[in-house]
Amino acid sequence: MQIVPDSDHVPGSKPLISVKDVCLSYGNFRALTDISVDFYAGELVGLVGDNGAGKTTLIRILSGIIPPDSGEVYFDGRRITRFYPKLAIALGVESIQQAIGLCDNLSVARNYFLGREPVRQFFGIRILDKKSMRDASAKVIRDFGLRDSIDVEDDISLLSGGEKQTFKIARAVSFRNRVIIMDEPTNHLSVRERGRVNELAVQLKQQGLLVIYITHDIFQIHRIADRIVILENGRKVADVSKIAMSAEGLEEIIRQGGRSPTSGPAES
Amino acid sequence: MRPFISRFVRRHPETGTIALVAIISALFASITNGLWLSLGNVQSVVRLTAVLAIMSFGEAIVIATREIDISVGSTFGIGALTFLGIAPITGSGIALVAALLAGIFIGALNGLFVAVLEISSLIVTLGTLFLFQGIAYAVTYGFSFAATNQMRREFVYNAVGGGTVGNLNVATLWAIGIIAALHLLIFDTPLGNRVLAVGGDAASTYSRGVNVTKIKFGVFVVSGLLAAFAGVLEAGYIGYADGSFGASMELSAIAAAVLGGCNLRGGKISLVGTLFGAFMLCGIQSFLIILGVQPQWYILMLGVIVVFASFLDRTFTRLVARR
Repeated sequence: MQIVPDSDHVPGSKPLISVKDVCLSYGNFRALTDISVDFYAGELVGLVGDNGAGKTTLIRILSGIIPPDSGEVYFDGRRITRFYPKLAIALGVESIQQAIGLCDNLSVARNYFLGREPVRQFFGIRILDKKSMRDASAKVIRDFGLRDSIDVEDDISLLSGGEKQTFKIARAVSFRNRVIIMDEPTNHLSVRERGRVNELAVQLKQQGLLVIYITHDIFQIHRIADRIVILENGRKVADVSKIAMSAEGLEEIIRQGGRSPTSGPAES
Repeated sequence: MRPFISRFVRRHPETGTIALVAIISALFASITNGLWLSLGNVQSVVRLTAVLAIMSFGEAIVIATREIDISVGSTFGIGALTFLGIAPITGSGIALVAALLAGIFIGALNGLFVAVLEISSLIVTLGTLFLFQGIAYAVTYGFSFAATNQMRREFVYNAVGGGTVGNLNVATLWAIGIIAALHLLIFDTPLGNRVLAVGGDAASTYSRGVNVTKIKFGVFVVSGLLAAFAGVLEAGYIGYADGSFGASMELSAIAAAVLGGCNLRGGKISLVGTLFGAFMLCGIQSFLIILGVQPQWYILMLGVIVVFASFLDRTFTRLVARR
């Protein structure tokens, strides 16, 4: 059974990111096997699957942290041959990852601008523009509702888990980007914060960005996503537009490990 | 007031070291009836501090990236030997360049193994420490290098260790210039922000698009360069060097950096603190000499004082910077 996911876009429109037959192994462990998936601008795609299904590995490739062993990745029609985060960021791919992204020894302002620090010339030397670092990062964390007692000169380690997560999201969306990848963005967040993150994801999509949203919560993602891709043991087992299947149906696919007789592994 | 002080100490890890230096200076001066504070002794302590500090600044920057450079002792020796070995033939200018290149070469070798091949810096630089100490012993077997009268008249020779400006040996001026430049680099430039970030969390720094390999390679090159330059300054002052030149200096450099508030777990360093750390070590040394402590006891006492000082510093910082 084949479920084609193009109900939401103009037929013939080119994918922003195209992944073709990508494989990746960590030693003897095959993390990804022949993954092929297309992502379009202006789309919110839910990437779901059990622990160890390969979700995080796939987004690590998309954000340039690790190269695939084989297969092809295209961005905006251009083949990507070298994978490193600087290139991904330059192309406008910003990722909010679970375990990484912040340096605890640096201040909030320094973390905010790490890798793209604003500078001013001083006798030909590029000096950090600390005032604009302070002002810009202070404005963003206030806009995202972090508590007023946080000084952007304080080490980021003074923030709580939820605040750090909010900060990473704020940082990701406040630079001009084309793709936002969120790896379990609502972990550590309160119910209200969770609602705000989901709202934000939808807003970003409406602004024309591609949003790839990784989660375990199939019901939550079914409410906001346009399309849902399910990975299982490193393979893509489903790729369905939201209207084509109920959240219960998707859950059944995951529960069956992609071997459900009613919904079967999908090929694209 | 209290939150202000605690925030200040948290942001300035050298506060404890500076307080400790003030206390022990007063103590040493009174115990030696002012002899420790005499012009001659202060001159000698300040010169020794300058040379050790220049080497320790390089160490501090390596520590900032959560690595360590144990090879600086032999790099110091190689720098000194290269300078004094070549200068009588080529003149001091070319010899200085050769010595600095030798330091850069050792640093690049360390950087290659640590940053590119990702081998532990502890074992790599321990290896290069032995390797270049071995080379230093081998090439100077049975003889040593000394400055000639011709060299002593050269401008470059006097500019890198031989000469004085007012009451100060030129090494002091070099140390001031180097700390100013490095302080600006580490705390006020994008590159410095990334150096500290690598030490805080290398994987996160990489994910923000920073080339971690380049930065780690770079800090080892800077460390090698500064260690060799410190060796030149010492050789220029003494006018003599043999195979044992710089032996065990790496331990003093690491001690100065750590006493000065550099965190061995990376990401947090203080160059001003490192300067005071170096001053503390050299001050203790001269104090023991004035007291007439036998040389064989002296390293033992230095060790005891270093351990005690680091304990005091840690306790002070914990008490004051408590959140």
